Amino acid sequence: MSWHARAPEAVLPSWLRRGAITLIGGFALVPVLFMVLLSVTPDDEVAGGGLWPTHFEFDNYVKLWSTVPLASGLFNSMFVALVAAIIATMFAVGAAYCLTRFTFIGRRPFLSSLVMVQSLPQTLLILPLFVVLASVGSALGITIVGSRGGLILTYLSFALPLATWVMVTYLRRIPESLEEAGLVDGLTRFGTLYRIVLPLSWPGMVVALVFSFLVGWNDVLFASVLTNPETRTAAVQLQALGQGVEGGAIPLYGQLMGASTICAIPVVALYLAFQRHLVGGLTSGGVKG
Amino acid sequence: MTRPVDLTPRSAELAGRSATGAPRVSRIRPARRGRPLWLMLPAITLLVLVVGIPFVLAVWMSLTRLDQYSVRHWLTAPWAGLDNYRDALLSAGLPHSLWLSLAFAVLTTVIATPLGLLAALSVNSRFSGRGLVRSLYLVPYVIPTFVAGTAWRILLQPSGQLNHLLQALGLPGGAHWLIGPVSFWTLVGVDVWASWPFIYLMTLAGLQTISTETYEAADLDGTTWWQKTVHIVLPQIRGQLSLGLLLSTLQHFNNFTLPYLLFGSPAPDPVNVLPINIYQTSFQVFRFGLGAAMSIGALILTAIPALAYLRAVRLNAQPQEV
Repeated sequence: MSWHARAPEAVLPSWLRRGAITLIGGFALVPVLFMVLLSVTPDDEVAGGGLWPTHFEFDNYVKLWSTVPLASGLFNSMFVALVAAIIATMFAVGAAYCLTRFTFIGRRPFLSSLVMVQSLPQTLLILPLFVVLASVGSALGITIVGSRGGLILTYLSFALPLATWVMVTYLRRIPESLEEAGLVDGLTRFGTLYRIVLPLSWPGMVVALVFSFLVGWNDVLFASVLTNPETRTAAVQLQALGQGVEGGAIPLYGQLMGASTICAIPVVALYLAFQRHLVGGLTSGGVKG
Repeated sequence: MTRPVDLTPRSAELAGRSATGAPRVSRIRPARRGRPLWLMLPAITLLVLVVGIPFVLAVWMSLTRLDQYSVRHWLTAPWAGLDNYRDALLSAGLPHSLWLSLAFAVLTTVIATPLGLLAALSVNSRFSGRGLVRSLYLVPYVIPTFVAGTAWRILLQPSGQLNHLLQALGLPGGAHWLIGPVSFWTLVGVDVWASWPFIYLMTLAGLQTISTETYEAADLDGTTWWQKTVHIVLPQIRGQLSLGLLLSTLQHFNNFTLPYLLFGSPAPDPVNVLPINIYQTSFQVFRFGLGAAMSIGALILTAIPALAYLRAVRLNAQPQEV
């Protein structure tokens, strides 16, 4: 119908649409742009200066590496989060396959518990994990509290249910008729999983991997209790730097914002790389670290 | 949006082969013996180890007088019965924290909802640059909470960028956002900033289920945008949206990272929300038993909306059982 100027699904009139995009977009972006701007502002101008720096201080990005041991923090975060994510995703595929393809006693409670666990307060699990890891460690004569292994284990308590749930929602959408065809052709059940389901489910595995990676990367609570100076993650270093910076004579705000920007980059890069797959997963998993 | 995987060529090929192979049985029920249920074992074992046992221990710890002295011999920590729960309820701190957390969780969701709705409606129809706007909308949600908290803490300093911006706009600037009663609203505001895209995503997912015909019919009736929003969009996305509201409230209630980054621990009184209070009780005062009891209390409170969530997803939670 030619008299109809706009698409029928355009609920908002275009003045309102433009206004909403401008205002909401500004609200979303201005703080982030400020963070990036402040990261190249001289330290002494951040607290006392105006809206715009007198000159850009790109040196912040050089100096901050000696102000805070961020390199080791980033390594620790990357290592711990990645190992936890890989374990969680591998285990999740097997569990999710059984949960979506077979009926067995305890399947429904298993599915329910996956959801319930995700709403457990983190503060509830960290106490016993801390105590158990400490006493198992002292019984075996090794230190687990403070080690990267201990942290990986605790991240799995949230990453594994999350990854399993993501895989359940994904595998459910792969039609079983494909596997039936494989079975008819003489594949075993395991064979159909390996040759038919796995090749089709890699987008779901990417989502599971990224989300469980973010559990570790974005965590502050577990890492603040379960790390020592050597194994400290970037998140805890940033938090400590933020608290410490204000005591100094010249607050190192510029460098602090530089470090913040650096910590955000891997996550933003992951999101940009897998945006297409992640957005659908966000609504089915509902996560934020 | 995840595109459905393109299955057609492969499935056609497989179906063709099976048609020429064995005579196709109406529906193949796999033999019970061939089921590789052992594939679940690693996940189940690990879940028992890192969730099941810690959970049971947390319940047990909440009934003991476990503190930094008895933690070395925690298995023989003195039994306290329900003392921790009584202490938690009678202490001045906990009911205050509980009330703060509830108010914080509900307020943040309530304020974020119209924002998310409006944002979703603004990118529902095609226009050039829509993909970019959709990506930019997600930026606050994608930025890690600990980064957002650190950045906001600097922007909100008395001589920080927010106050500069307010002055530049001719508004009164110079407020102390991180101190005093106003800090509660600062926390709400920053969390709204960080979390509205979740409501936006849930709404957007819901909007995709509304057919073009529905809108066209409404257009023929000459409805205004407000009538369309209230009478067509909202009723149709009710399911998705209520799920989003529940999950979002739950996430705010359990949010430890943001208040911790903005205010530290121990937090000032107006922002001493439950997760911070529990953290302080457990790891700064070292009353592990009391901390566990408070966590169990928090769990019971979050279980109420979580059970509602379970009921909401139950419809989808079934695999295709013939």
